Amino acid sequence: MLVSKTLFAMLALTAISSASPSMNGQQVIEAVYKRVQPKDQQGDLTMLLINSRGEERKREIRQFIKDDEQTEKKIMFFLSPADVRNTSFMNWSHTQQGKEDDQWIYLPALKKVKRISSEGKSDYFMGSDFTYDDLGDRRPDEDNHSLLREEMYQGEACYVVESKSKDKGYLYSRTVTWVIKDKWIGLKKEFYDENNKHLKTLRVMDYKQLDGLWMILHSEMENMQKKHKTVMKLEDLKLNQGIKDSQFGERTMIKGL
Amino acid sequence: MKSLVVLALAVSVSTMAQVQWSGFGRHQTALRPLEQGDWSMIQNALSLNLENRSDSKAFKADFFISHNIGDSTLDWRLRQLYMDLNFDCCDFRLGKQQVIWGKADGVFITDVVSPKDLSEFLLPDFAEIRQGITALTSNVFVGNHTLSLVLVPQFTPTIAPEAGSIWHVAPPAPAGVRVSMDASQKDVAIEAANSEVFGRWSAILESIDFEVMAGWMWDDDPSLHISKRFAHVNSANGQMVLDSLVVSPRHHRLAVGGGSMSSTLAGFVLKGEGAFYYDKRFQSADPAAEDGLVSGNYLHTMLGASYAISGVDFGFQFVQKYLMDYDSFYQDKEFQNMITAMIRKSLLRETLYLELFSYVGLDDQDALIRPSIGYDISDGLRMTLGANLFYGDSGSFGQYDQNDMLYGKLAYYF
Repeated sequence: MLVSKTLFAMLALTAISSASPSMNGQQVIEAVYKRVQPKDQQGDLTMLLINSRGEERKREIRQFIKDDEQTEKKIMFFLSPADVRNTSFMNWSHTQQGKEDDQWIYLPALKKVKRISSEGKSDYFMGSDFTYDDLGDRRPDEDNHSLLREEMYQGEACYVVESKSKDKGYLYSRTVTWVIKDKWIGLKKEFYDENNKHLKTLRVMDYKQLDGLWMILHSEMENMQKKHKTVMKLEDLKLNQGIKDSQFGERTMIKGL
Repeated sequence: MKSLVVLALAVSVSTMAQVQWSGFGRHQTALRPLEQGDWSMIQNALSLNLENRSDSKAFKADFFISHNIGDSTLDWRLRQLYMDLNFDCCDFRLGKQQVIWGKADGVFITDVVSPKDLSEFLLPDFAEIRQGITALTSNVFVGNHTLSLVLVPQFTPTIAPEAGSIWHVAPPAPAGVRVSMDASQKDVAIEAANSEVFGRWSAILESIDFEVMAGWMWDDDPSLHISKRFAHVNSANGQMVLDSLVVSPRHHRLAVGGGSMSSTLAGFVLKGEGAFYYDKRFQSADPAAEDGLVSGNYLHTMLGASYAISGVDFGFQFVQKYLMDYDSFYQDKEFQNMITAMIRKSLLRETLYLELFSYVGLDDQDALIRPSIGYDISDGLRMTLGANLFYGDSGSFGQYDQNDMLYGKLAYYF
């Protein structure tokens, strides 16, 4: 069933791709959202937090993700720095509209798995420049999208799409995304604050095709106002390893790696 | 000397095997400004965790060594020392371990498996308050459900503050009456019949987490059996004149059953916890009460919620203890109500932390308020400044009104 769904998605993308000259902003973002993803993946995530003076702080995480198209389950184990080692975080993100994510955190000092609210989408992840919302899959129907232009960016033919949230209280007034035409990767994204001032820029520095799927391996988020940035690298990435569903539970969170 | 032996042993073990080291070194200084600047604590401490793990088995040792400058004492504790055996469907843990249950924060309702070390009241980190117990824990996993069974062959009581400690509270006695302690019946013999057993069914599911638990245990806190010694008969009224009280602490069996849950609604995390305790001993002024104690049952419950607004985390809990079949001779109140409140904010890309945690007793109008500010000087090096402020004249917190404290900590994690 999953295979046929994936095949259907690929065929749909091919159809969208072939019809690219007439695509509008909504269709471009839909294509990005529907870019075929692995059924599961695991890898080591390194975040380098660089402040305005160039000083660096490093956070290392091992993450496991499984997606059954109804629910994407993710579990992250914090490896460093030492004061957060053995902390784990789990998220179940549901595709069903209106259904809140389920999130838990395990703090080794408390020895408890605690359910936490998933409403804090505007909070920054581990002190980085990425909010939880930036890291998640935002559904296309949450924004109005308009195609601004088509242009070459870093040697790639891109659609430039402006997205404005339907929710007036959303943390960004608008975003502008450069989407590679044939790969459906957002190569660059600009975020504007509630006063429509340029807040952050996300740049994808490296992406590769692994097992036939385009995967982002290196990205940087720069806060243009505070002059600090976060470098995020994904290494030792393994796709479709058959990670068991039982991996995404309380036992794994407590036991750790 | 003991600590040096343990440290040498730890170093040897870690050298021989593929053992991972972690832990922290910490300096802590605390001042009591109301007691003419008394240093209530100047302590250097080392927490050392050694761990060796594979998919099917694990070994862990957790040492805590502290050097108190004030009284020149060197103390070490083996907080945990256990082995794990892991299978697909179940796992087993044998040895000294901490077992933590329940959803409440800073309140112990169903979290009664590991006893507490209250030698410094509730002020240390909770990882340091909880004692390890020697036990066999088994967990069976069925989907997102877990069935746990804990067998504790040796009872471990609460560690109470020592006499002379600023946290020690002497048993109440009428003026002019001598009080003597008889600890001869305090210990629970290590016998199979004196084992404790706890069971739990827990699950984390979409939208809700829950736990249901039961235990056949010993009351971690001893009941104070009070016998009266009379000097002579008052010739004027013919009544016996009380000369002294002999207080004999003894632990009694206690049965407990309860549960807890947490869920989210519109951005709120809602949680609840409750337990029914059967056959607890309460102090009573009833002349017919043997040794000044009566047996009774009570309910201990908590309702709580947490929410985040603009990056500030708020958490509140309402906690109630209800003594059932109450009569006017009870020395405790029938209803004991308390609120806990937590406010927390992180700044400067999660390097600066502001926190306020409070216990507020609603019956005695007393409180413990704990503001603190933490700063990560670099990764793994944290400085904390804070205060423990007691308010009130009586009650769990008001009785320590003179123990207000300012403290500073510097911790290095490795």
